[in-house]
Amino acid sequence: MITKTFIKEIKEMVRDGRVKLSFLIVIILLGVTLWIRIGHYQNINEQYKNATITEREVWNGQGEKNPHSAAHFGTYAFKPKYPLSLIDQGVDKYVGISIFLEAHKRNESQFSAAADQTGLGRFGDLSPDFILLFIIPLLIILLGFNSFTKEREMGTLKLLKSLGINNWKWMIGKWISLFFPIFIISSVLFLTSGILLFNLNDFGIFNWSSLLWLFLIYICYYIVFINIVLFVSIKAKKSGISLVILLSIWIISCLAAPKAASNIAESKYHYPTKQEFNTMIMKDKRNGLDGHNPWSKQAILLEKKVLKEYGVDSLNQLPFNFTAYRTQIGEEHEAEVYFKHYKYLREQYNQQTNIYKSLAIISPYLPTRFLSMAISNTDYATHWDFSDSAENYRIKTQKFLNDNTAQNTKFGERGYKAKADFWKKLPAFNYNPPKLNNILIQNKSNLIILGAWIIFSFGLFLFNSKKI
Amino acid sequence: MLKYNFKYELKFLLRSRWIQLLYIILLIVFGFSVFNGKQKVDKIKNTIVAAEKQVKENDIMMLKLIDSIEQGYKVSVPRWTVPTNPMAIGNYHPRVAAMKPLQLSFISTGQADLYTSYIKPTVSADDYALNFTEMTSPIQLLFGSFDLAFVIVYLIPLLIIAFSFNVFSSEKERGSLRLIASQPIQINIWLLQKLGLRFFWLSIIFISTITIILLIVSSEIFLQPRIYITLLALTLAYMFFWFVLAFIINIWVGSSANNAVALIGLWIIFVLLVPSVLNQLGNTIYPMPSRTLMINEMRAKKLEVTEKQDEILDNFLRDHPEYATNDPSQTTGFYHRYIASQKLIKEEMKPLVNTFENQLKNQQNLTRSLKWISPALIMQESLNKLAGNSTEDYENYRIQVINFAETWREYLNTFLFNNLDFSTNDYINLPKFEMIRDKFSVTSAILTLLLISISLLLPGLVFLNKDFYFDE
Repeated sequence: MITKTFIKEIKEMVRDGRVKLSFLIVIILLGVTLWIRIGHYQNINEQYKNATITEREVWNGQGEKNPHSAAHFGTYAFKPKYPLSLIDQGVDKYVGISIFLEAHKRNESQFSAAADQTGLGRFGDLSPDFILLFIIPLLIILLGFNSFTKEREMGTLKLLKSLGINNWKWMIGKWISLFFPIFIISSVLFLTSGILLFNLNDFGIFNWSSLLWLFLIYICYYIVFINIVLFVSIKAKKSGISLVILLSIWIISCLAAPKAASNIAESKYHYPTKQEFNTMIMKDKRNGLDGHNPWSKQAILLEKKVLKEYGVDSLNQLPFNFTAYRTQIGEEHEAEVYFKHYKYLREQYNQQTNIYKSLAIISPYLPTRFLSMAISNTDYATHWDFSDSAENYRIKTQKFLNDNTAQNTKFGERGYKAKADFWKKLPAFNYNPPKLNNILIQNKSNLIILGAWIIFSFGLFLFNSKKI
Repeated sequence: MLKYNFKYELKFLLRSRWIQLLYIILLIVFGFSVFNGKQKVDKIKNTIVAAEKQVKENDIMMLKLIDSIEQGYKVSVPRWTVPTNPMAIGNYHPRVAAMKPLQLSFISTGQADLYTSYIKPTVSADDYALNFTEMTSPIQLLFGSFDLAFVIVYLIPLLIIAFSFNVFSSEKERGSLRLIASQPIQINIWLLQKLGLRFFWLSIIFISTITIILLIVSSEIFLQPRIYITLLALTLAYMFFWFVLAFIINIWVGSSANNAVALIGLWIIFVLLVPSVLNQLGNTIYPMPSRTLMINEMRAKKLEVTEKQDEILDNFLRDHPEYATNDPSQTTGFYHRYIASQKLIKEEMKPLVNTFENQLKNQQNLTRSLKWISPALIMQESLNKLAGNSTEDYENYRIQVINFAETWREYLNTFLFNNLDFSTNDYINLPKFEMIRDKFSVTSAILTLLLISISLLLPGLVFLNKDFYFDE
């Protein structure tokens, strides 16, 4: 029964012009988007490489210079692009591509691609994730909305019943015949992108297991949709009604719920505006040690403390340059201030994440989207990770520079310049994105939610077998 | 016949609970979206007010300090923040350059979540590095906002589709079409009346729900009825387009299911595909230069100028004699060299920075010339414009801020290069920023929507033979 139903359904699909057309459109779209993305990916990667090298050359070529001037001159950390961004570009477009690392200040990443786009960019990009997340579920709806209603409308339901068929087997046959084409189309896409990525010259840290996980996540997402589509098709009296209901489910789950979630998250746990954020940091900075201001209260306290520690009575007798030491301590204080405020931001974001998770109850799209971005290294968490490691590098750089001044100069000495070859000694910035295992552990709850969706939707579908 | 149709339709819509359902759905989605929009706009307004208040408070402190210095007292602030120094004013007492929300800003988030609503440009900041982006969670930017524009552009067409996909086919499927055909009325006229009545009822429901919601959430809008009427007219024109589409599909295609598939297909094309294809087209034809390479270039220039600062200052003073002081006893300091170098970098970077602006303009022009392909696009653009949150608005704001930053710098540079102190008398002359909005009108958008609709409707009415419907 299962095979017979399967063969009959597939035959019907192959004969149906509507199905052929929509399949063709999806395949063309996937091909085009993949092609566009590959060009984009290669382009960005090349720019990243050049930019990193050139920036390092600029840093190394500073010549003789005071280390603190070099600290203000600063350096840039550039964000690399990862292979799976080819499939899901996630939030990459909305976060900056570079962070300016300078003395006293933690800067936000700058120059997001979205800021350089017209308003059209907000409708969404033509990329594989758009097809995978939005269009393929629609394709499932299109293929399956009348799976059961048509039997009713054509009167074949009565014939089938009179044959005494096993409802279960019949339903499983229908299920497989809907799953099969979707499975094929996704496999082809993932395999093609895998092969393409594998053959790119610098495919970075591409590994097949990430791709496999991504594939599995999408298959799970589609299974949820298949179950829902067939469930509605069983329940609805007419094909048209079934289609309209399914479309409403699709729009709620893929468009409305994410938007509503983002609004609720924003109104409950909102981010400060950039200016507010800066003002809060300024306030905290002012209350602590200012490395440039020897007359501030904190600076005088530090002076006393250091003099006591070394058992000397003037700053001249210290074995290092106190001014540079104070700059470094001030730097550490500022780093702490930034740490505190960014921690707050992160807490807000974690709270927002919980809202997204709770709305995943009405939308299988949400857990899928988050998992897909996370595995592709294009999610917000990866950006946080990058920004944190750039900040750590900044703090280390400041210490490296201030220590040099402290060791090579005396108190009160002005106009010190480090040698031209000194800059090369600073280790280069190197960022490694989170590993697949860690990503999966971090996204455990999303995996659980998606799993729950599968169980729930299978339950809905299969426990209706008697009601046909 | 129209009278019978009217009566029948009303009874049918009431008994099938369509009217009640639409009322509830629209009240909920309008309420939620308008409330969200209002909340966002209030947040923006409050931050601008807070920023202006803070500047005012700081100004009072600053004036007190200057006054003390002018009276010959010693002040206990770090040397570089003493406000008689024009550079201290320029860096530590910047003005608020704000883009204040408009009356209708709550209807569409547009680009308001992406860009910041105010900026305080300082004398030492680089114009091309002025960060105009807002600190928003990128997840929010990715998902977008549940605003009124989303409801109107995305959801209302779907409601219309659900409301009208089977108007004709269901009669056919139930067999009542033959009965109607025996009446003295042309089928396409009958269908037109039926859909026209549905358009009428949906319009009534739309107007009444939106008015209720606006009265509750944002009643001040009724003080300017023109804005309110524009919003209604625009939305009705858009709704009209979808009804016309439903009419065409109803007579053209066959069964209810096929009608629904066709209409949904059109919805996907107009709302999802055309915008992203046009976006891709714009990016491909007018690609943005690389920001990373821009940074590289800027850095190389900065390194170059730090090495030759004195030379640059000399050249600068030769080119700008108005800044050169005639008093040989006065010296030039860090800021003289810095400002001169900054100016040089800015001039040299200009061609590259301009390419970004030009490409964006080119992309915008391309969109503008092609947006009639999708009424959803026309609608979204017009709503963004009404809200004052469109890309053009922010582009306009950006240019004005950069000009203001220049004015601010120029004003204080005159003090710097003439080695003059900033005094309490100069305070009232400090440049102020006031954003000037472009004039706009959505009349052309409304007309375009109507034109598209009518050019679809006429062939539907004229060329389709009524026998066509009965070849079952």
